[in-house]
Amino acid sequence: MWLQLNIDFSFNSSFISKKSKEKSLHKLPLAVAGLALIASFNTVNASQSNLGPSITIQETSGEKCVLPSEEMRRQHPDILKHDRIKTLREGVRAKADGGVLDGSLKQCVNCHAIKDDNNKYVRIDNDQHFCVSCHQYAAVSIDCFQCHRDIPEGSGDFHALSNHKDINYNAVVPGTYSLTVQDMANIAPEVHSDDN
Amino acid sequence: MTINIENEKQQDAATKVETSRRNFIFGSVAAAGLTVAPAVMLYQTANARSLSDFSLKDGASSKVRLGMLVDTSKQVDWNKSVEACNKEHGLGNEKDSRDDQKTQYIRVVDVKNKGTGYTMSLPVMCQHCEQAPCIDVCPTGASMKRPDGIVLVDSHRCIGCRYCMMACPYKARSFVHEVLTDQTENTPRGKGCVESCNMCVNRIDKGQEPACVKASNGAIVFGDLNDPTSTISALLKEHGGKQIRADLKLNPGVYYQGI
Repeated sequence: MWLQLNIDFSFNSSFISKKSKEKSLHKLPLAVAGLALIASFNTVNASQSNLGPSITIQETSGEKCVLPSEEMRRQHPDILKHDRIKTLREGVRAKADGGVLDGSLKQCVNCHAIKDDNNKYVRIDNDQHFCVSCHQYAAVSIDCFQCHRDIPEGSGDFHALSNHKDINYNAVVPGTYSLTVQDMANIAPEVHSDDN
Repeated sequence: MTINIENEKQQDAATKVETSRRNFIFGSVAAAGLTVAPAVMLYQTANARSLSDFSLKDGASSKVRLGMLVDTSKQVDWNKSVEACNKEHGLGNEKDSRDDQKTQYIRVVDVKNKGTGYTMSLPVMCQHCEQAPCIDVCPTGASMKRPDGIVLVDSHRCIGCRYCMMACPYKARSFVHEVLTDQTENTPRGKGCVESCNMCVNRIDKGQEPACVKASNGAIVFGDLNDPTSTISALLKEHGGKQIRADLKLNPGVYYQGI
């Protein structure tokens, strides 16, 4: 909307500059009225943007979802329902190529799990939970997580000590157990708060 | 007469030494083949079957009838199997339920012969009946049998009416009375649904044996009852096995020895 306003405004100003001074003076009240109108639009829009809640969908760790986001928003219930019947009733737990089924809720949770400021996964009772954030906005209550696990299993709740990425293992000499401070500095990576 | 016959035989043997030896060699090879080949085939098919039939992408096969054989004479601590089961499925996390309300997939039943005083204990889980009463009475189709014979509850359809608990002669089913959190990934369970032993479908579909079998130290054998070359079929054929309440003619998939 702001972009739109700026274009309108520049159009007005160029309109004024191209005309003669008299004509521009003649048109001045119109321009002022136009500006006032635009300003009033602006205030209306500002008040509208405060109506209702806004959704903040958090970025997640997975590279690529089953479908593009727009299609996932519409189709994820059907995908989940289709594959839950296949898995539970027929025992099919992988796609023909051996990959994870599209509708695996476990895989959904593993990718879309969100951590809070304390680096712990948020549970289903938290507004930040990926599923909750949208479903609360849409006023759709889901009961998946009355039975299903809402956060990844395993070491998810524990704070990672290191990401094991930048360790120079060559700095450690096999068989030597007396490491100097400098050795330790070489071995230990810097721990960042956002490392998982 | 007898001497003559013996002489004739000796003469025959002397004249036919070449062929008889050849026959003997061929015969012995064939005999050896007959004795060795089935063992090799048994071993190969047993191995191949355990890998191929539990494929993740093909699902449960109706050619398979999965079952278990419990040897109660082996004097195993069944509580180890129960613990393994609880750990696998995340059981025992109820906070407000009474002990008799809490979910148990395996019950350890102690029985005593009043006449002789002989006592024994046996684990009783879902018996995975062929003609399962729980499936007959379920009004929503939640109680179901997979093509491979595993009886389990589809919690998506379960309304918690508990008819199946009434119908089950083995008292194998439990009802979740309270809100649960921290379920395991592989066994979703929650308030208002009936649940029971599902023979660890999540493990079986991955080609692993059930948790109780693994923890039983060989006292419980798991396998395909339809496959005559499987270990469980061979053991049942050799030693026999009893089904609990066989008079009900439900044809359970769980067999017992030593009861």
